[in-house]
Amino acid sequence: MQGFRTSSDKVLKWAFIASVSVVLLLILLPVLHAIQLSFYHSESFVSNKSWVGLGNYVRILNEIIFWKALSVGLIFGCLTIILQVCLGIAFALFLDRNFPGLPIIRGLVILPYLLPTVVVALAFQWMLDGTLGLLTIWSEQLGLGRPSWFENPYLAMTVVIVASVWTWTPFVTVSFLAALQTIPKSLYESAKVDGAGMWSRFWHVTIPMLLPMLMVIILLRSIWMFNKFDIIWLLTKGGPSSATEHLPILAYRRAFLQYDVGGGAAVATLSFLLLSLLILVYFYYYPLEEKEGSH
Amino acid sequence: MKVKAGPALFTLVSLVLLGIWSFFPIYWMIISSLRPEKELFDVPTLIPKTIDWQFTSYKNLLELTDYPLQFMNSIIVALAVVVITLIISIIIAYVVTRYRVPGKTMIVGSMLYAYMFPPLMLAIPLLSIFATLGLADSLIAVVLAHCTLTIPLGVWMLWGFFKVMPFDLEEAAMVDGCSRAGAFFRVVLPLSLPGIITVSIFSFLLSWTDYVFAFVLVSSDLNKTLPVGLASLIGSFDARWGELMAGATLIAIPLFFMFVFLGRYFIKGLAAGAIKG
Amino acid sequence: MKKNNELINKASKPTNSINQGKVQRREILKAAVAGAALFAGGAPAIHAQQKTIRFLNAEPSRDSVKALRVAAAEYERVSKVKVIIDTVVPDDAYSKLQASIAAGTPYDIGTLAFAGHVFILAEAGKLVPLNNLVSKHKWGPRILFPIKGQNYWYPYDYNFCWMYYRKDLYQQKGLKVPTTWDQMAENAKVLTGDGKFGVAQPLGNNAAAQWMSLGYMWADGVKMLDDNFSLVLDNPTNKPKVMAYFEFMKKMSPSMPQGMTQALFGTVLGQYSGGQVAHAPYAGRLMEVIEDKAPDLVSKTGFFMYPDSAGKGQAVNHGYDGWVVLNTPMKDESLKFMEWFTENQYINFLHSAPLHFQPARLDVYDDARWRAHPLIEKHADLVEFMKSLLTRKDVIIRSVDTEGPRIDSRPGKMFETFAITEGLQNVIYNGMPASEAVDVMSKKYRTVL
Repeated sequence: MQGFRTSSDKVLKWAFIASVSVVLLLILLPVLHAIQLSFYHSESFVSNKSWVGLGNYVRILNEIIFWKALSVGLIFGCLTIILQVCLGIAFALFLDRNFPGLPIIRGLVILPYLLPTVVVALAFQWMLDGTLGLLTIWSEQLGLGRPSWFENPYLAMTVVIVASVWTWTPFVTVSFLAALQTIPKSLYESAKVDGAGMWSRFWHVTIPMLLPMLMVIILLRSIWMFNKFDIIWLLTKGGPSSATEHLPILAYRRAFLQYDVGGGAAVATLSFLLLSLLILVYFYYYPLEEKEGSH
Repeated sequence: MKVKAGPALFTLVSLVLLGIWSFFPIYWMIISSLRPEKELFDVPTLIPKTIDWQFTSYKNLLELTDYPLQFMNSIIVALAVVVITLIISIIIAYVVTRYRVPGKTMIVGSMLYAYMFPPLMLAIPLLSIFATLGLADSLIAVVLAHCTLTIPLGVWMLWGFFKVMPFDLEEAAMVDGCSRAGAFFRVVLPLSLPGIITVSIFSFLLSWTDYVFAFVLVSSDLNKTLPVGLASLIGSFDARWGELMAGATLIAIPLFFMFVFLGRYFIKGLAAGAIKG
Repeated sequence: MKKNNELINKASKPTNSINQGKVQRREILKAAVAGAALFAGGAPAIHAQQKTIRFLNAEPSRDSVKALRVAAAEYERVSKVKVIIDTVVPDDAYSKLQASIAAGTPYDIGTLAFAGHVFILAEAGKLVPLNNLVSKHKWGPRILFPIKGQNYWYPYDYNFCWMYYRKDLYQQKGLKVPTTWDQMAENAKVLTGDGKFGVAQPLGNNAAAQWMSLGYMWADGVKMLDDNFSLVLDNPTNKPKVMAYFEFMKKMSPSMPQGMTQALFGTVLGQYSGGQVAHAPYAGRLMEVIEDKAPDLVSKTGFFMYPDSAGKGQAVNHGYDGWVVLNTPMKDESLKFMEWFTENQYINFLHSAPLHFQPARLDVYDDARWRAHPLIEKHADLVEFMKSLLTRKDVIIRSVDTEGPRIDSRPGKMFETFAITEGLQNVIYNGMPASEAVDVMSKKYRTVL
C-alpha cells in the first residue's frame, strides 16, 4: 500500500474519485430518495405529500401482513439458499471431471441462469397450466388428481422455490466448479494416502479450502434471494392470499397499486435495514481487511 | 483415476439427470413453440407428434413484436454495460488494492446498497436524475442503470483478483523501466484476464436479463429491449401460448450457444481465483 | 433550412453596378453571417419548430397501434406537429404515466382504465380539463367521471362483461338460458365432463377476476358503498346476498377448469375458443377472437347477462377506457390534437376492435361510418344488445372501482385490495364459511376507507 506519489498515481487517483463518485451518486441518490419517500404520506408518486415522520413505520409494523411478508421472505430466502448451495456444490462435484460432451452439459447446466426471469416464469407457467400443463397432466395420469398448483399456499410456495432454485443454482455450481480447479490435487492425494474416504476428503479438504469463496457466494445469494421480486411476482403475484408475498412484493403493491407510496417505501426501507444488518454481521465475521493476511 | 464400472455408471446417470433437470423446462418450451396451435390443447406427448415446419408461432411472433430491433437494443446495451463496468471496476478495484484509501470498506460496502432496494423504487428517482441530464428514454440511461448493478459485483470480484497478485511483479516491471500504467497493462491485466472475462460475462447477463430498469427508463418502442418486449407480449391479447413460447425460445437459444462456446473461459476465469473472496 | 436558402438566393442575385456590387458584397456578408448564425443557433431552432406530442397508448393489439400510428402520421401532415405513440400493456399504463410525471418527462396524453387513477392525477393537478371536448357530444350512462364539475377524461369505450355460451351444446342437452344462479350452476354442471368444463370464472387476485366473476353479485343488487363512502357490504341487506353469492360460486366451482386463480383475460379467451369451456364471461373481444381463430364457433355462440339469485334482475360488469390530457408545456397542442383526433379518427380507432370497443359516445351508434364495419354489420344482434345496455332500466351496471356516489380514490383502493377475490378463494379453496369470509373481506375493505 502506498500513497499517490507520481503523476500517473495522481491520474489514477482522480480516475478513482470520479468513478466512485459517479457510481455512488447513481446508487445512493435513488436510495436516499426512496427512503425519504417513507416519511411522507402520498397516494401516488405525483400527488401532494404530507409529512408523517415515522407514522408509516408505526402503521406498517402494526400490520400483521408485514410480519407475514417478513416470514415469507425469510422462509423463501433460507430454503432457496440452502437448496441452491447444496445442489450447486453437488452438481459442481459431478461436473468436476473430464468426459466427452462436457461443454454441452456445462452449457445446459448454466442455461437456466442465462434466461431472463420472464422466460423462466413462462416456462414454468406453461408446465403447470391448470388444464394444458405437462406436470398437471402427468400428475393426473399418476392418479394424484389435478393439483391446485397456485391455489394451495404450500404448493404455490413450492413452485416459487423450485423455480428459483432451478434458475439460480447454476451460479453456485459454476463458481464452485471453478474454485474446485484451484485446489491442488496433491492435497487430495495425501488425504487418500492417509486413508480418507470420499466424504472425508470432501469435508476436510474441499470445504475448508473453499470456505471463503463459499461465504461470499452465500452473502451475495442471500441479498439477491431476499430481494428477488420478478420470479415470485410473475408466477404468483404474491398469492394465493399473500402466501408467497414477501417484503419486496408488499412494498411494490403498496406503492404502485394500493395508493400508499409512503407505506411501500417504509416496507422497502425496513427490508433494506434488515439486509444491512445481515451485511454488518457478515463483515464482522469476514472483514474485508483480514482477507489480506489469509493468503 | 481408475474407472470402475459402478462409479462410472453412477456418474453417467447423475449427469444425465442433471442435464434433464437443467434443460427440460426449456426443451418443453421449445417443443411447444413448434407444435401446431390446435395440438397445444390436446394431451401432450414428450416427443411431439407433429412439428409445425411452417413455424407459424414464430411468424406470428415476429409480426406482433419488433423482435430484431429489441434484440439489437439488448445486445448494444449489454455490450456497453460490459465495457463501462470493466473500465470502472478495474480502476476502483486496482486503486483500492494498491493504494492507501481511507474508508475503502465503506465505499465498497455502500455499493452493495444497489442490491438491497426493490429496483422499481430506485428506477423512478433514477429516471428523474436522467431526465435532468436529458437522458430520459434513451438506451444510455439503461446502460448506466445496469452499471449500478454490475459495478459492485465487478469491484468485488476484481478486488479478490488484484489482492492476491503480489505487487512484486509490477515492481519488477517498473524497475525494468515501465511506467505504472505500463506495468498494469503488461503484468496485471494478462494475469487477471480470466477474472476480467468472468466480470464481463456476469455483467452481460445482468444487463441482458434486466426488465425493471429497461421498462421504466425507456418509453418509445424504438428503445425497448427483449425482456420488455416479451413481457408486453404476455399482456396483450393477440399472443397465445405458441407465440409466447416462440419468444422465450428465441431469447434462450442464442444464449445457450454462446455459453457452449465461451463456457470454458468462464470457468477458467472463476477458477483462477476470482471468487477467492 | 428555408431561411438559409432564401438568404443565399438573395445574396447571389446578379447586379449591374458597382454600387450594387458593394450592396451585393454586403448582402453576401450579411447572408453569410446570418447563415452561420442560423446554422449555429438554427439547427436546434429548426428542431424547435417541429413540435412533438407524446402519447401513451394502452391498447397493445396490432390493429389499435396501427390505427394510432396512421392517425399520428395524418395529423403530422396537416398540422406539422409530430405525435409519438408509445404503447404499453394496460396494467402498466398508470405506473408508466406516474413515472414519467415524477421524473419530469411527462407524457402529453395518456390512457387510463380506472376512474381512481383519473381522480388521483386530477387532484394532483396533473390533468387538463376537457370540458369543451366532452360537451360536444352526448354520452352513455356512468361513463363520464366529473370531478367537481370538470371533465378530465375522454372515454373511448365501454367494456361491459357478460356471459357467452355454446348454443349448440345447449341444444344438445336441452338447456335454456339461465335466469337464476341455480339454473346457471346446473347448466354448467351438465356441460362438464369428458375433459371439458362448464364455465371459466377467473378467481385470482387480479383485475380479470374482478371484471369477469362478480357480475352475479351485482345482479342481486348488492352495494358495497353508500353515499358517504361507508362500507355497507356487510349490512343486513347485503351480507346475506354476498354469502349466497359466495356459496353459489363454490357450488359452481367443480364445473370450472383447474387453475382459475391463475386465469387472466387471455386464458379465458383461449379456453373458450379452444372448446375447453361451454360458458365464458367477456365483452366484444371474445367474438372478435373466435371470428379470427375459431370461426366455426361463431354461429354456435350466444350471449346473456349475469343472472341474479331469483330470476328478477340481471347485470353486466362495468369496464371502460379513456384518454387524459396532461398539464405539460405542450397542453395546448395536445388539446388541438385531441380535438382533431376525436372528430376525425375516433371511429377509425374504434374499428381496431370493432366489437370490443363499445362506443361510449352516443352519436357513434348512428354514424354510418361506424356501422359500415363488416363485423359490426355481421353481428348486428350483439351490437343491438350492447347498445341496449345503455338505455335499459332493468340492467345493473356495476364494478368495484365505480362504487360510491362519485369518482373517488377509495373504490380504487378497494379494488386493489382484492378483498373480494380473496373472499372467493377462502370459501372455494380454504373451506371458510361464507359468513366469516364476508367479515374478513369487510374488515380488509375498511382498512382503506
